Amino acid sequence: MAGVRDAGSRLESRTAYLLIAPLFILLGSFVFFPAAFSFYVSLFHYDPFNHSIYYVGFNNYLSVFDSPLFRLAVINALIYTTVVVSTQTFLAFGLALLFNRRFLISKVTRAFVFLPAITSSVALSIIFIWFFSKQGLLNYILAPLGIASQNWLFSTTYAFPSIMMLNIFSTSPYFMIMYLAGLQSIPSPIMEAAAIDGVISPWSKFRYFYFPMLTFTTLFVVILGIIGSIQLFDQVFVMTDGGPAYATYVPMIYIFNRAYLYPGLIGVSAAASFLLFVIIMVITIAQRNFLKEMKW
Amino acid sequence: MVTPSELFRYAIHKFRHLLRGNGGTEELEINRMSLPRKLLLEAAMIMVAVVYVVPFYWMVLKATRISILANFPPDLNPFSRTSFNNFINNFHQVWSFGNFPTWYFNSILVSSVVVTTSVMVGAMAGYAFARLKFRGRNILFYVVLGTLMIPFPVILIASYVFMVDIGWINSYQGLILPQIASAVNVFLMRQYFLTIPSEIEDAAKIDGLRPWQIFYRISAPLAKPAFAASAIYTFIGSWNNFLWPLLEAQTVNYWTLPLALNFFKGANGTQIYWNQMMMADILALIPTFIIYMIFERYFIQGISLTGTKG
Repeated sequence: MAGVRDAGSRLESRTAYLLIAPLFILLGSFVFFPAAFSFYVSLFHYDPFNHSIYYVGFNNYLSVFDSPLFRLAVINALIYTTVVVSTQTFLAFGLALLFNRRFLISKVTRAFVFLPAITSSVALSIIFIWFFSKQGLLNYILAPLGIASQNWLFSTTYAFPSIMMLNIFSTSPYFMIMYLAGLQSIPSPIMEAAAIDGVISPWSKFRYFYFPMLTFTTLFVVILGIIGSIQLFDQVFVMTDGGPAYATYVPMIYIFNRAYLYPGLIGVSAAASFLLFVIIMVITIAQRNFLKEMKW
Repeated sequence: MVTPSELFRYAIHKFRHLLRGNGGTEELEINRMSLPRKLLLEAAMIMVAVVYVVPFYWMVLKATRISILANFPPDLNPFSRTSFNNFINNFHQVWSFGNFPTWYFNSILVSSVVVTTSVMVGAMAGYAFARLKFRGRNILFYVVLGTLMIPFPVILIASYVFMVDIGWINSYQGLILPQIASAVNVFLMRQYFLTIPSEIEDAAKIDGLRPWQIFYRISAPLAKPAFAASAIYTFIGSWNNFLWPLLEAQTVNYWTLPLALNFFKGANGTQIYWNQMMMADILALIPTFIIYMIFERYFIQGISLTGTKG
């Protein structure tokens, strides 16, 4: 009897290894290997086009640290992350509370609100290049207020806030769905009991029930938001390419340009991407601890 | 003997709350709500929806105009006869511009191969992690989840160098292979397989089915919603992917649509042809919009499966 079971479980584990084999082959070649190889490359002057490869130690990291451009990019990314993540988290929560109704109309309108989440970042950026352009919609809206029309993406002051606006607009719906899923997982009896106990006003429901019960969702939304914001690339590359005068310069543009435009600087690019990785890890861990201590 | 379709019906019945949302807080609101408050909320929803639709409406409007300059006052009707003629005209111009059909074909090819393989690989691994017992299962699953912690930039540069070294720059395999392995798909599939009652599989085991037969004949057909959700997400992600093709496809022949759209932006020198840019945008958005309209339900479900029910 024991022998039969052994044969069965051996068959089972052999099947399991066969089923996970393709995944691990792919992860090995296109995730784990590049991640390790990236650290290796960051220690070299690595020019694969001219076959000039030699060891430089941590010099690539030093040149990233010394680069005022990288420092500017990191500061920009931190400003961007602070503004965008805080705004879009509030907005997503608000939209979820608004759309969490069983009206026919909420189903229909919700579907429209979710459109930017499926739209290609490049296509959306192009629509918004027009939106912020001199003949664009923003100037139409602002004209009655007496604000002179201008191309907002050409302005060093307004280019970055414009990109922030686009991303708050387009990412909020995605996180709204996460909050909606969270709201729908709150069992009805809890809110019924709360209503009997006199918790009726929307604010008190939010303060004492929705917000504390969705702390995990908020943590998730904030961390995903931060990781996404620090890696901002598509919208900046398409709309301003880091300009005007480096006003929208972010780390991914730095990394991309080093690798793509100057083959001799691929090692520097790899070093910068590792530093970005460290920044993301530190923020993620700090955030997790902070939210763990904050008990409502 | 129970047929797969009966099992499927049983599973739908038992797990309908996963398919439809389990009511939650929204249900009791509606009974107690006064009519003015309801109307106010509906007005707010419509306003938000309008804000979200306006950019897309303007995209369509621009694509139905021949003049590159804005008229004042603007003609806001995209459905008139001239609009339609302009639309067709713009379509011809965009379609015959550069290698537009090739770029469209490349996008379709890359996305469809990525979706098929990624979902299959994810379902196989997800099933193994959910249902089969083998040594190192937990550790290996954490390894898969750990890949979510590695930000893309770290992989990007080394992958690019690797592709240059093995000569896969400007190739379909170079565009496709790095996009297949997806921890999210594995996780989504595993979560769904865990919700299927194990009694069904136990019964199949007693009937003498082998583990892979159980996966192939019983469990995979029951997990159709999870297949749909991960297929849609993978498709959207791959269709819209910009950064990897930007590095990988350096000659025009291997471009995908996002690269083409970006190229359109600067294609005509200093003059900006908004109508053609927006037309190209529309052509790139059509497949995702169609899929979204058909499968909207699964989008929501996919996010809830991966997002909060961990």
